[in-house]
This record gives sequence, structure tokens and C-alpha cells, in this order.
Amino acid sequence: MTAPAAERIEVATTRWHARASSISETVQQLARIWGTAAEAEDASHANAGDDASASPSKIKGRMRTSVLTLVVIAQRPETAERAMAIVNALASRHPSRAIVVSPGDPDGPTTFDAHIYAACHLSPTSHAEVCTEEIFIKTGGELSQHLSTAIAPLLIHDLPVVLWWPDDPPFRSRHYHDLAEMADGLLVDSGSFRDDGRLGLRGMLDTMTAGNTVHDIGWARLTLWRELLASLFDHPLLIHELPGVRHLRIDVAKPGTTMRIAKAACFAGWLAAQLGWTVSRPIQEAPHGDRLVAELLAGRRIIPVEFRPIQAGSGSNVPGTGSLMRVEMELVRGRAQTRARVTRQADHLLATADWNGAQVARRAGTLEPFEETPFLAEALDRTSGDRVFEMALGKAVELVGLSP
Amino acid sequence: MTATRPKKPKPAPSRTAPSTSRAKQSRDALRVYRAEPDTRPENPLREGTRLERIPAPCIVVVFGATGDLAQRKILPAIYNLRRAGLLPPESVVLGFSRRAMTDDEYRDFAKKAVSEHSRVTVEEGMWDHFAEGLHYQQGEFGDPPDFRGLEERLEQIDAEQSTHGNRLYYLATPPAAYTDIVSNLGKVGLDRQREGWARIVIEKPFGHDLESARALNDAVMHVFEESQVYRIDHYLGKETVRNLLVFRFGNGIFEPLWNRRYVDHVQITVGEDLGIEGRGEFYEDAGASRDIVQNHMLQLLSLVAMEPPIAFEADALRDEKVRVLRAIDPVWTEARVRAQVVRGQYTAGWSADHKVPGYRQEAEVDPESRVETFVALKLEVQNWRWADVPFYLRTGKRLPKRATEIAIQFKQPPLMLFREATTHPEANLLAMRIQPDEGILLRFAAKVPELGLDVRSVNMDFTYGSSFSRDAPEAYETLILDAMLGDASLFTRADEVEAAWGIVSPVIDTWREWDHEVATGTQPTREDREGTLADVDGGEGICFYEAGTWGPEAADKLIEHDGRRWRRL
Repeated sequence: MTAPAAERIEVATTRWHARASSISETVQQLARIWGTAAEAEDASHANAGDDASASPSKIKGRMRTSVLTLVVIAQRPETAERAMAIVNALASRHPSRAIVVSPGDPDGPTTFDAHIYAACHLSPTSHAEVCTEEIFIKTGGELSQHLSTAIAPLLIHDLPVVLWWPDDPPFRSRHYHDLAEMADGLLVDSGSFRDDGRLGLRGMLDTMTAGNTVHDIGWARLTLWRELLASLFDHPLLIHELPGVRHLRIDVAKPGTTMRIAKAACFAGWLAAQLGWTVSRPIQEAPHGDRLVAELLAGRRIIPVEFRPIQAGSGSNVPGTGSLMRVEMELVRGRAQTRARVTRQADHLLATADWNGAQVARRAGTLEPFEETPFLAEALDRTSGDRVFEMALGKAVELVGLSP
Repeated sequence: MTATRPKKPKPAPSRTAPSTSRAKQSRDALRVYRAEPDTRPENPLREGTRLERIPAPCIVVVFGATGDLAQRKILPAIYNLRRAGLLPPESVVLGFSRRAMTDDEYRDFAKKAVSEHSRVTVEEGMWDHFAEGLHYQQGEFGDPPDFRGLEERLEQIDAEQSTHGNRLYYLATPPAAYTDIVSNLGKVGLDRQREGWARIVIEKPFGHDLESARALNDAVMHVFEESQVYRIDHYLGKETVRNLLVFRFGNGIFEPLWNRRYVDHVQITVGEDLGIEGRGEFYEDAGASRDIVQNHMLQLLSLVAMEPPIAFEADALRDEKVRVLRAIDPVWTEARVRAQVVRGQYTAGWSADHKVPGYRQEAEVDPESRVETFVALKLEVQNWRWADVPFYLRTGKRLPKRATEIAIQFKQPPLMLFREATTHPEANLLAMRIQPDEGILLRFAAKVPELGLDVRSVNMDFTYGSSFSRDAPEAYETLILDAMLGDASLFTRADEVEAAWGIVSPVIDTWREWDHEVATGTQPTREDREGTLADVDGGEGICFYEAGTWGPEAADKLIEHDGRRWRRL
């Protein structure tokens, strides 16, 4: 009566692979794969001697339950490899059609080469089968500049499209613009924006204004910083001090020649947005040293802001350029003086608050390893926009003096 | 009518209220309880971070700290919350129990319990952090001086750990100890919320019948405010139950169909393939009506039938739920019990591939037991939305499979246009599977691809597992965290408990009367019962069914009498 369990498990993970040299062939191959899949499923039902005759509706095709289409533009071959690995790791958690595009030399001949992989496996948490597809496309020549038309036929209808651009996206190009328009969400890493990152911030804001949701891995990496700083002010004594910020200083890792300020600006922008500050003077170089200074305004009180470069890091734990090293706030209310700071210490963060010289709160948290997978997973989880980030980014762009 | 019979003078069992006063009793049950919202100072920096879900540091006082529930559920749940970073590091767990133990002994005890029962393995480093905040206080639940000791201990911990006077009292004891603990907490003033908050978590069962439920509510409310009380029914913490709300109120297309105009009837099934699994003593006292119907099934019913709440917020939600229960007629005449309720008990049979004993042969069970392991009943929600739409509920042990499902059976299409079709399509059906394989199924008619015009029902089946494959948190984790955050949405309010007992209690009382009659040989004769469901029960007022079947024949008759059928699951 009941099918032997082993037999079921044998058919549990199934993989297909196909190759195509044009978009239409890719579409055909996909259809063929799912045709085969449905037959295999029917056959396995028949073999299992399932109670099919009594209830014809029980026979169901193999279902490709996708929740989104993920498009990855990998400008460098090593990025493509990394992206494929991450997409693979996330496949079962986010059943999706993933399209990884590796655009080649735009000046060469126009080429198109696609590998199509599909897999169905039993989900470990339920008895349902989860099917995923990955399409790896290499293009060459002029096509590399018109990727949106090449990708459009491969999108699953009605489902959200997330565009992941692991390297620095050319925000101002038409090429980028077309792809962003096709997508609902954009995933980037402000940590990889070139130069000081200011133009990247503006690019993200523009994409957001155009109606896309934007997820920034750089912002996501600030989560622990924000949480720790916020948790200091959960202390019943300190919550009343929060409106009295007098000074903000952010130390930024700067191993090279340019100081990447995307993260620091987002962090300061976040504080400004949450605490209702406005930007009165955007950042500029301080008269002495290589600090950057700006002024925020809380009501009529000026809050000086300082970004200080730190030639930090040695040994195995070198923080990436632009990473925050320390955030420090001074707060004054009446005669109470408060100093709240979050400091990076090797692989963890330490947050402390002193109230009139005595430490009243202390928190620690471990930094996530430097991997993109959890951040991509989070971005795919949250297809809706992150209101807090949107507001923070708006202020950050103002702070770096690029407001629209 | 055949079901009426002369009342014979008899000593009524003490719990039984005279049927005339039942209506009054249930009207009295319409006491209104509202919880006041919790206010704490806003920290604008928390917005959008996980901190929004991180409660303030608090002391969880676990009464019955060495008991089964603490070992299997509570300690693992708190540990997992801490491991997931959802509890602040200052959080403290203070076990309170009769057994003499030092802090260190309790830590070892807890470690063993958590290692055995946690859904994830215990990491040494994490455990050491957790154990630092684990303490033990010996005491008797009925002894006021021991509670003064508890109070001193709590203040001492507050001073050391900056838990700011926040306390969560967790009653993980047998229900008999509830009133003692509550009144002793009151005597030493531990209910008061001075600096922080004080909340009390009470495990089901909330009473044994309407009377005892009200007595318990009175005792608790004598000391605590309703807003401090969190009655935990782990069933409500399940991901799927909350999915039910999202499905109903997060989608626009179903709500217009969700009423008597389109719905023919609703079936709710809570089936278990297991027997009583060695819990004979417990089950002899409870039975399916107390164990499942009064809480789980009526919760599911109210979630399915409720009006849209004005906000996804504890009291708005519970106001609507309790309104559904109040729309169910609580007056159970004997004739109504006979016509609309089936009481069953399993006999020996086969469960899947092994032979199993009958209920009366189980350990700790009276060989003459008349406790129900199966209940099927028909209820009507008397409001504008649901009038004349019957809700059929069934639950049982040793059914063919484990399945919890809610099925909305829609009406037949008004006209059958496809005359040459050989089969009539079935009416549309929307089934929500709660467990296992949680998902949603919609059945509709489709044409068979052939030259003729054959119509057949097809299923459109969505399983959560294939769209979101990840671990859902344990129900206890969700609920304990909610209690710490002061979100009472998924907890049962006093009036809900009472309204649910108001429906179930009279039925149980009627059964007790019958049992008494059987015991004293005064039960009515066969002719008296003719034409009623009890007709097939062999004269005992309880219907037997073989283990591994879908309950007694009377359950089928109950629904077939209305021209409907139980769904095949």
C-alpha cells in the first residue's frame, strides 16, 4: 500500500542541464526540462502505486514554485563565479529563477552562450518538493550593452525581479538604467563603490526615487552598529538624554589614499533621520589634517560631525576600506553629560555609555563574517523597501552634498 | 419529540448545573475584559532593527522549574531565544520549585533538559553565558514566607543585573497550584508594577469547566490586572495559525466570498493518529472535549469566522474572536446534544502498520471508562455573516492520520450547464492545512482535454514548504517572546476562555448525567432514543470506533443527516 520510503528518496533530488546558444533556444530548453520533470513525477506516482485511481486530482505536475526572478550582472569573471556559488547556496531557501549574466568584451563579436541548470529536491522541513533554476549566460559584443532585452523573455511573469549588481554599478549609464527599470528591487554593496562612494550614494537614491526598492549590503553591515548604539539608549536613564546630542564623530578605516565615506555617511544620515536633524553644512575637508567635517542641525542647535580616517588594521583582521572603526556621541542635558560609543575590536563590537563619568551600560556583539550570502538572503526576504534605510540614505546624500 | 423523556429523580452530579439556569449562566459569562496597552518610552533608534523585537531585560520566574513542561518546552525555548540574540544578555531565569537544589545543581539540571529537548544542539560557550543568568530558589507554592524569600531574591537580582524590576511569572505547575501561587504573589506585592512590568503566564488548561474557569479567572484577577495576564495556548503560537489571519486579511479576493451567500458549510478537523501515549491519567480527566475542542478547535473556529479586526492588535483581535464565540448558542438541551454532538471512544484496531489496544485497555485508564477520545459536533454561528452555515467540527485520537485542516465548502453552482458531462463537478472547496504540510488548496472544475465535454475537479495546491523553506520558530519561543514584549495578540483573554467553556461545559455536563444514569442503570430505553444519533451507540451514550478509522458511524450520520459528507483527508 505505502510506497517504500527508499524509492521516494531516490527520486527526491533530480537535476537537469542544458545548453543554448540563443534566447529562444534557452526558453525552449526550459520548457523541455519542465516537461520531462512532469513526466518523471507522473511516472513516480504510478510506480509508487499511489492511490491515484480513486482520486485523479491527486496526480499533480512537478511544481516550480518560484517566488522571484534574480538577475545578477557579474562584470568580472570572478564575480560571476562567486555569484553562482551564493545563488546555489540560497537556492533551496529562496526558490527562484536565477539568471547570472557575465557580459564580455563589448568591442568583440556578438556572442550568446547559456547553461541551464534545474534541480528539484525535497525540502528538509516539509515533504514538499522545491524546484529551482539557474541560467548562466555569457555574452559578448554589443549585446553586452543591451542586456535588458536579452533577459526580458526569461523573466517569470508576475513575480518580482531582483537585480543584484555585485560590483560598482554604472549608475549614470543607460545600460544600468534599462536593467533597473526592468527590476523591482536592486541589491548592491556600497562598500564596493568606487572613489569615495558619494556618487554611488546618489545613484542608489535616484534608483529608489525611480520606484525601485534598494538593498545595500554595506547598509546591512551597519545593522549591528545601529543595534548596539540603539540598545544603549534602552537604558531607562539614558533614553531621556537622547535628544541632547552635541557632537558626533565617526572613525573610518582608510588603508589607501581615498577615504570611502559611504558607510559613515549612511550611519550619520540614519541618526539624522531618526532624531529629526537637518543638514546645515555638507561635508568638506577640515582646514587641518585629513578629517572631513559637516554640521547637522537639531532645532537650532548645531551638531558638529567629524569623519576621521584611521590607518587601522594589521594581521588577519583587516577591516575593509570605508569600514566604521568607532562611533562616538556626546550628549548634554542639564548637568548630565553622556558619552556613548561603539568601537570595533577585532571580530566584535563593544558599545559603552558613560553618564557623568560612570559607565552605566555596556553591550557587545559579534560581527558577521565577511560574506555576502546572509545579506543576499535578507534582501530576498524583504522585497518591500526598508523605510529606515530610505530615510537614512536621503540624509546621507544631503550630507555628502549631492542632494538632487 | 422522541428525544424528550421524563426526568427521573436522581442525585445530580455536583458539577451539573440545572439546565434552566444554563442560559443565565452563559449570559453571565459575557463579562468583558480589556487589556490596557503597555507604554514604554520610545527609542527612535530602534526602528527597523531587530531590537524592535528584543524585549527589555527581565527575570523569568518559572514556577514548577523542575517539572516536565519546564524541561521540555520552557527552558529550551528561553535558551533558543537567547541563542538567537533575541533576549538581552541581562535576562535572568529563576527557577522556583519544591525540590532542594543549588544554583549550580539547577544549571546542570537545565543543561540536561535543554540538550535533550532543544531543536538545535547546545553550544558550550553560549550555554555558559546563558547559565550565568540561571538561578534557583527553593520554595513551597502554598507558603507565604517562601514568597517573601522569592521577593528578596528578585530584588537582589534586580540590583545585580539591571533587570529594572521587569518580571515574567511563568506558571508551569499543575493547574491545582495556580491559585496558591497567584494569591501568594499578591500577598507579597509581587504583582505590582513599580519600576518595571510584572506579567504572569498561565498554561492551559484554564479551568476544568465554566465554573472552575471563572473561579480561576476571579482568583487571578483578584491579584493581577487583565493586561498583566498571558494565558498561553501554544497552538496559537504556531506559524500556520497566524498564516490563517494573513490569508484572510492580507488577501482581497477571499473576504467577499467569506459568508453565508457563498459558503455552504465549514469543516474543521483536528485528527491525531496517536493514542493517548501513556498519558492515561491526564486523559481520563480531560477527554477530547477539554483537551482539544474547548481550546484548539474553538480557537480555529473563531479565527475562521471572525469579522476583520480594526487593527492587528491584541484587544481588537480578541474582541472579534470572542464575538464569534458569543454568537454560538450556549443553551444545550438534551435533545440538542443528542442531535448535534457525537461522543466516541476508540476500541482496539490497527494504526498504520501496527496493532493497537483500545482506549479502555490503555494504562491508567478505567476499564469501564466513558471518557471521549473523539468528538464530532455541529455548531452555528448566529450572526449576519454566518447564519445557517453549519460548522462541523471533529477531533479524535487514533484516527487514520495526523491532520489539522479547515475546509470552506462553497455552494454548488446554481445551474449545471454542461449536460452531457458524465459527472457533476463537486462544489468549490478551499482547504487550509494547518499540519502537517501546511498549505492551501483550492478545488475547482476544469474540462478534461478530450473531444467531449467532461468536467472534473482539480486541485490547486500551495504548500508553504515549497515556497519558503526554512525553520519556523517553536511556538513556545514565539509566545514567550511576545509575552516579554507585551504583545498579547496570541494569548487568550479571560472572556474568550469563559465563552469557550460556555459552549463546551454544558455538553460535558449532559454527558455526565448520562454516565450517571448508565452507572445507576436508569438510562432511557431504546425506544426513547429512536431516530437520534445515540441510536447507534449501543445504549451507552458513547459511540465506539475502531482505532485507525475516521470515528464512529454516528459522526457520519451527524453530517449526512444534513445532506453533506465529511471530507476525505
